[in-house]
Amino acid sequence: MASVAEFITGLTVSDLAVALFFTGLYGAMTQRNIIKTIMSVGIMDVAAITFFMTANFQEGSRSPISGTAVEQMADPVPQALMITAIVIGVSVVAMCLAMYMRVVYRYGTADWKILIRRLED
Amino acid sequence: MTIPLIPLHVFVFLPVIIGAVTYFLPTRWYHAVMLLGNLAVSVLAVNIFIHVRWTADIIQFVAFWPETVAIKLAADSLSAPMVMLTACFFSCTYLFSTRAAYMDKTFIFIFLMLEGALFGVFLSGDLFNIYVIMELGMIAVAILIMYKQDKQSVYDAMLYIMMNFIAMAFMMLGIAYIYRITGVLDLAVLEQRISELSNPRSVIIPYAMIMTAVSLKAALLPLFGWLPRAHGAPSAPAIVSAVLSGIQVKVGVYLLIRLNTVFSPAIDASMFFLILGFLTSVAGFLLAIAQKDIKLILAYHTVSQVGLIVMGLHMGTEVAFWGGMYHIINHALFKGLLFLSAGIIIEEYGTRSYSEIRGVLRRMPIIGIATLAGVLGITGAPFFNGSISKYFITAGVQGNLAEIGLYLINFGTILSFVKYSTILFGTPTLKKSPKMDPYVSGISLLFGAAILVGGIFGSQAVSLMYGSQYSAQGALGFQKILTFFLTLAIGVGMYYMVVQKIGGVLAGVRIFKFSFNQVTVFITLFFVSLLGFAYFTV
Repeated sequence: MASVAEFITGLTVSDLAVALFFTGLYGAMTQRNIIKTIMSVGIMDVAAITFFMTANFQEGSRSPISGTAVEQMADPVPQALMITAIVIGVSVVAMCLAMYMRVVYRYGTADWKILIRRLED
Repeated sequence: MTIPLIPLHVFVFLPVIIGAVTYFLPTRWYHAVMLLGNLAVSVLAVNIFIHVRWTADIIQFVAFWPETVAIKLAADSLSAPMVMLTACFFSCTYLFSTRAAYMDKTFIFIFLMLEGALFGVFLSGDLFNIYVIMELGMIAVAILIMYKQDKQSVYDAMLYIMMNFIAMAFMMLGIAYIYRITGVLDLAVLEQRISELSNPRSVIIPYAMIMTAVSLKAALLPLFGWLPRAHGAPSAPAIVSAVLSGIQVKVGVYLLIRLNTVFSPAIDASMFFLILGFLTSVAGFLLAIAQKDIKLILAYHTVSQVGLIVMGLHMGTEVAFWGGMYHIINHALFKGLLFLSAGIIIEEYGTRSYSEIRGVLRRMPIIGIATLAGVLGITGAPFFNGSISKYFITAGVQGNLAEIGLYLINFGTILSFVKYSTILFGTPTLKKSPKMDPYVSGISLLFGAAILVGGIFGSQAVSLMYGSQYSAQGALGFQKILTFFLTLAIGVGMYYMVVQKIGGVLAGVRIFKFSFNQVTVFITLFFVSLLGFAYFTV
């Protein structure tokens, strides 16, 4: 039991982010409901962003805004980049949902498999 | 007369700015200004190419930050020809369809945004910048596919965007890994840092992740499910199909070269991509033969040709590499032409089934001749450009297994295009010859002429584009010509003896479509197998 507790306390945020990423991938592989797959893909995106945010993090570093000593600053590059990535993720998910509405109104189903069958007719 | 070089980031934004400004112009001037803008972009792209080819590479850092901090834009001998090709291709396709019904201002604006995104990917020297611009291109492509919003185009676009989004999530996680290990995103510095790593194994996970995303963009074997849907989407406008097949899929191939170079100090996966290229090519032409829809025949055929290009690039010899690079340009020319003319043919006949279209050569002589030139180019007929690049790719290997594989691919290409070219002959169902738009016929003939010139002056074209001298004398040798006509005869024979008799089997192959979940499983399998390959070879 001690080793399990050690394992759990030894986990970092980036480990959890990787786990979250593959959870999202599992969802995208197994869920037949379109909304659930869109959610899974969104989870993958957020997990990758979280992982990137924690890159090169050092204990005790502060946010890189004015007033912080330079040696205390956290690496500003991931934070600057991830703002962009978050915006992209939001817009792509929004677009997926808009297309989902169209598809559901036209074919009357939210299931990938049934959808393919209805496309054939 | 010399034209001054403009900063590269201005060049990337130029198409978007043109699209945005002309949006507010009255319709009377609109097309003239747009044409002028497209011409200006093409001239500037040619100018960049000339500078890179004969003077020096262009490297610029955005906003004057130092290297490794700034976003780098670079035009080198690999990207400058691609940029020139993109600019000229977009101008030609724009001119081709100025009179088309779907060409409203919003459509053209998004079309030009895609052009800017493609320039961005080719010129960018920064991994995260590439990621952002690829996402932009992905959204633009999805909107263009579903622009007319009829039939199943919204479904096609949704499948496209979701598959690509998963791949891009893989890519971002890979970029995060590589940033954590090396601390830089600039491609040139990244390559140097990777070569200094004490343990090259530490980069195999990011390598597999980034390469999975890039392979999906390049439509390699299990990941090409999106391509026929996007390129052959029944209701997508012809110029969108042409641009997607001619240029956009090459982004994946280009990044495959670029990023494999970056990772080359640690990982050499050329064997993996060689085999995968072969399998992709075979699967592509088999599926192409099974299709009935002429646009889908062309779309699956793009898969096959991309496989051939990837094979050439990873053959391991220089001749084959430049052959593959030349085939990128050739494929853009003939597949662009074929998709554009297919759009006109479909519009004219009102059907997309190959068995209902007959006598294109008699009914629309100019389109027919242009299509014939495209078909001859793609099958590698002597004196046409396909023969040169295929000759170079084959010259890389003599007398081993890969040579037989290349013959097989060429045979499959010929077989599927025997099927495609049945639409050219026979008696047309309607006698009336339609009035042709002069732009349509002009651009079709221009593409056709480029295919012929690229074949006759093949070796000169390669040295002009890439600066490497190879003799293409052998491509016009008696043996090569004989081989081509022999293969053609066997192809025609086999088409009428075998392919037409097995309609049931083909119908079985045709309904073979994958749902989103299965595609995601393929992405995961691809990632795992690439990871395994890297693990056991490094």
